[in-house]
Amino acid sequence: MPLDCGIWLEGIAGSGKTTAAVRRVLHLLASGVPAESILIFVPQRSLAQPYILALRGLTSHRGGQVSVHTIGSLSLQLVETFWFLIAGDAGFKHPQDLPNFLSLELAQYFMTRAIEPLVEERDYFSSVRIDRPRLYSQIVDNMNKAALVGFPISEIGTRLKSALASGVEQAHIYDDAQTCAMAFRKYCLEHNLLDFSLQLEVFREHVWAAPQAQRYLRGRYRHLIVDGVEEDNLASHELINSLLESCQSALIVCDRDAGFRRFLGADPDSAQRLRERCEVRATFEDSFVMGAEVSALGAALAAQLGAADTAESAADPRRALITEAHRYHPEMVDWVATQVEALVHEREAPPNEIVILAPFLSDALRFGLVDGLERRGIPLRTHRPSRALRDEPAARTLLTLARLAHPHWRLPPTDFDVAFALMAAIDGLDLVRAKLLTEMLYRRERLLPFAEVHATAMQERITFDLGERYDRLANWLNRYIDGGRTDAIDIFFRRIFGGLLSRAGFGFHGNIDAGNISMNLVDSAREFRWSLDFMSRYDAQIDLGLDYVRMVDRGVIANSYLRDWIADVEEGVLIAPAYTFLLNNRPVDYQFWLNIGGEGWSRRLYQPLTHPYVLSRGWPPGALWSEDDEQAMNRLTLGRLLLALTRRCRKAVYLGYNELSESGYEPRGLLLETIQSLLRRLAREEQHV
Amino acid sequence: MSLSDDFAFTQGSLGDYADCARRFELRFIKRLRYPALEVQDALQFETRTRQGARFHKMVQQHLLGVPAEALAESLADDEELARWWANYRARGLTDLPAQRLSEITLQTHLAGRRLVAKYDLLALAPGGAAVIVDWKTGARVPSQSSLRGRMQTIVYRYVLAQAGAHLYADERIPPERIRMDYVYVASDGERLSFAYSAAQMRQDEALLAEMIAAIDQADQFALTNELRRCRFCSYRSLCDRGGAGRLEDFDIDEYEDEEEETFALDFDQIAEIEF
Repeated sequence: MPLDCGIWLEGIAGSGKTTAAVRRVLHLLASGVPAESILIFVPQRSLAQPYILALRGLTSHRGGQVSVHTIGSLSLQLVETFWFLIAGDAGFKHPQDLPNFLSLELAQYFMTRAIEPLVEERDYFSSVRIDRPRLYSQIVDNMNKAALVGFPISEIGTRLKSALASGVEQAHIYDDAQTCAMAFRKYCLEHNLLDFSLQLEVFREHVWAAPQAQRYLRGRYRHLIVDGVEEDNLASHELINSLLESCQSALIVCDRDAGFRRFLGADPDSAQRLRERCEVRATFEDSFVMGAEVSALGAALAAQLGAADTAESAADPRRALITEAHRYHPEMVDWVATQVEALVHEREAPPNEIVILAPFLSDALRFGLVDGLERRGIPLRTHRPSRALRDEPAARTLLTLARLAHPHWRLPPTDFDVAFALMAAIDGLDLVRAKLLTEMLYRRERLLPFAEVHATAMQERITFDLGERYDRLANWLNRYIDGGRTDAIDIFFRRIFGGLLSRAGFGFHGNIDAGNISMNLVDSAREFRWSLDFMSRYDAQIDLGLDYVRMVDRGVIANSYLRDWIADVEEGVLIAPAYTFLLNNRPVDYQFWLNIGGEGWSRRLYQPLTHPYVLSRGWPPGALWSEDDEQAMNRLTLGRLLLALTRRCRKAVYLGYNELSESGYEPRGLLLETIQSLLRRLAREEQHV
Repeated sequence: MSLSDDFAFTQGSLGDYADCARRFELRFIKRLRYPALEVQDALQFETRTRQGARFHKMVQQHLLGVPAEALAESLADDEELARWWANYRARGLTDLPAQRLSEITLQTHLAGRRLVAKYDLLALAPGGAAVIVDWKTGARVPSQSSLRGRMQTIVYRYVLAQAGAHLYADERIPPERIRMDYVYVASDGERLSFAYSAAQMRQDEALLAEMIAAIDQADQFALTNELRRCRFCSYRSLCDRGGAGRLEDFDIDEYEDEEEETFALDFDQIAEIEF
């Protein structure tokens, strides 16, 4: 492919587009193109992984480094760099001060701080039965969509009302959501805070207009590689479109029949406009992934749902399907583990060529699968990015110890939390003895010395060795309290980690997981402190440690565990939500689809304050969103999802079906209905033949 | 467990190995993150490192076209940083070639491995001088001899000689044209310079290749016998090597937090939360 023009490369998943794009990057480098002049632009970091791996594997390259960016990372970098040029014009009250960029959890925290008084005072959202953090996250989501799609945040309420408000109450809810968004924006401008939506707005409207930023970006990036353009948003497409003016070459890769991130502003239609900007257009038609039966299965399911044209195929899709009906959920989970075991041990399938997918991964399902596979000696990895950091044992332990060490917070931990923390903190202490210690020695919010256990038999049951370690922990905490120390919360975590918990005889010693989780908690608490420290110049000081722990309790902070997202390719069966697997874009031999009767495969999450389609670019102003629209979109979304999954599957799909769901109901979701309908049709056709 | 095939060596990782092979193993092979405090005076330490990071960022902003005055106005609340900035403005860019590239990363390969250097500033005149500038914000200026032996001096000059051709009119930079300047902005902008030569480059190459080969072939990574090296190591509790050191004994300029690829805050991760 030529190195001096724009190329549009389109095709189905698994047809080798990314492989071709990776080779192009390597070819550019081999042709003497400076690495610094190459920008790889992706909608999500995980999609850059093939490029990063290929570049890391280059042991013969001498020169600079290729840049890899998303719209989020690039806009952050540029807003930060050119902040002092644009902050005043962008409306920030303190343009001479530094900006404070907010992670998602911090955006939710400051949203809580900014609007909660308003919500309380005016009794907003009283009729909505969702907890506050989830409500606030939807307001954040609305603002992000406005920024990505490019409409003012002041229009959020109007757009939602005109399409969705069927009654006065619902209209009030959208009005309230609008008021909250405006209040949060005002708060951000007054305090130099930038959530993602404001960051992007500032980037689009101010930084991109600055000659220094234009000079930097256009001077630096001469060769553009865009992958997954259909998953990206209008803001990204506008930036790419603009960069095409000054780039010497570009390769834009588009996956046909995709666009899964619509709820996040993905705009496959706007991506198509970039096609017109490219001099060369190429299409990859053939899949190098799917077997004929899997291909036929994907096509038939998608056609059944109206997501693709009916395709004739000589292959029988049923040959790609393996299923067995079960009455109860645990039986199905056990069947899955047994099938995986057979694949790995009898058919010698590599574990990392197997994925187990569900629309959502509940704790119970995850535990059942992990337990079943581990008992069979199958290596595995789980990817449930929404797993709460605060639920990890090491984090729970540190948070409990923080409460014990700060009695002035008046947040004494429960007996169970103390027992759990003792068990995790003291190497060799089981839960039974940890509970005994707690019952006997956790008094008036403090840990008493082991000597206070007066019965010799009980001391012997605990053992003096464990008692001595318990004393070291209790002494450490009591010295901290009595010394009147009030470390910053992250410093406290680090001090007790290094000074005690990671030492020989304690539970975190040499424990890699505990180290990593503790580090994640420290990072979360430190980011929190830095943002709040920064705020102290504008607002009254608050007790940061106390506020941090409160926010953790409310599920606002440390509620998601994202840092290990881009873990290097590991060996093991992957257990993940279906969309998470898709966005990793790595095909496998075998897929297991679980809970196929569940509504989660096709139905959107309940989000009363937001709407992915109504707040998208293509939604006509004033049009009403009807139940028919909802049903049609559910069918289309599921059809696209099934097509995308099968295009990332080489050999077979196993269906996990149970007559009674995890919660005991008889499931009748659209996926189950579609599969049954397909099987009936194929049986009928067979009889006719 | 061994080093991953795509591991890139840096002055920081080689420095860790030179200090303590065990630390290298824990950090880069086992990838163990260990949040123990480096120094007792944690907040003061943090303030210093953040000031240093902010200073580096300001220089980058300045070199990309943000007026120095606008940057100076942001320092009203930080006298120390304002003093560093004044020293940078007065002497930081003196006698440097006109083509200036800030925060640039170069890589070469040696002994089958990538070797990466992230420069604060490269100032070049194709056919003329190629100057590496490294801003130092620590209060102490080390001796010329200790800096000469520092892994950063060895790696940075070598990598530029090997991988800087595309910045130098597509010609490999002759080692004699390379100079490395450490500029101590907290000490009136004092500058310590290190010239380079072909002979020095060969010597450095042999040393680096030997270290990389030793790491690749190692099946055991010994704990250092020099206890003083453990004072500021976050793994010391794992190795039963005492408590955190004191900030006044710590050379803040040796504290490097290098990342091969940075991705800052990735807000696109919002996607995963939804499912």
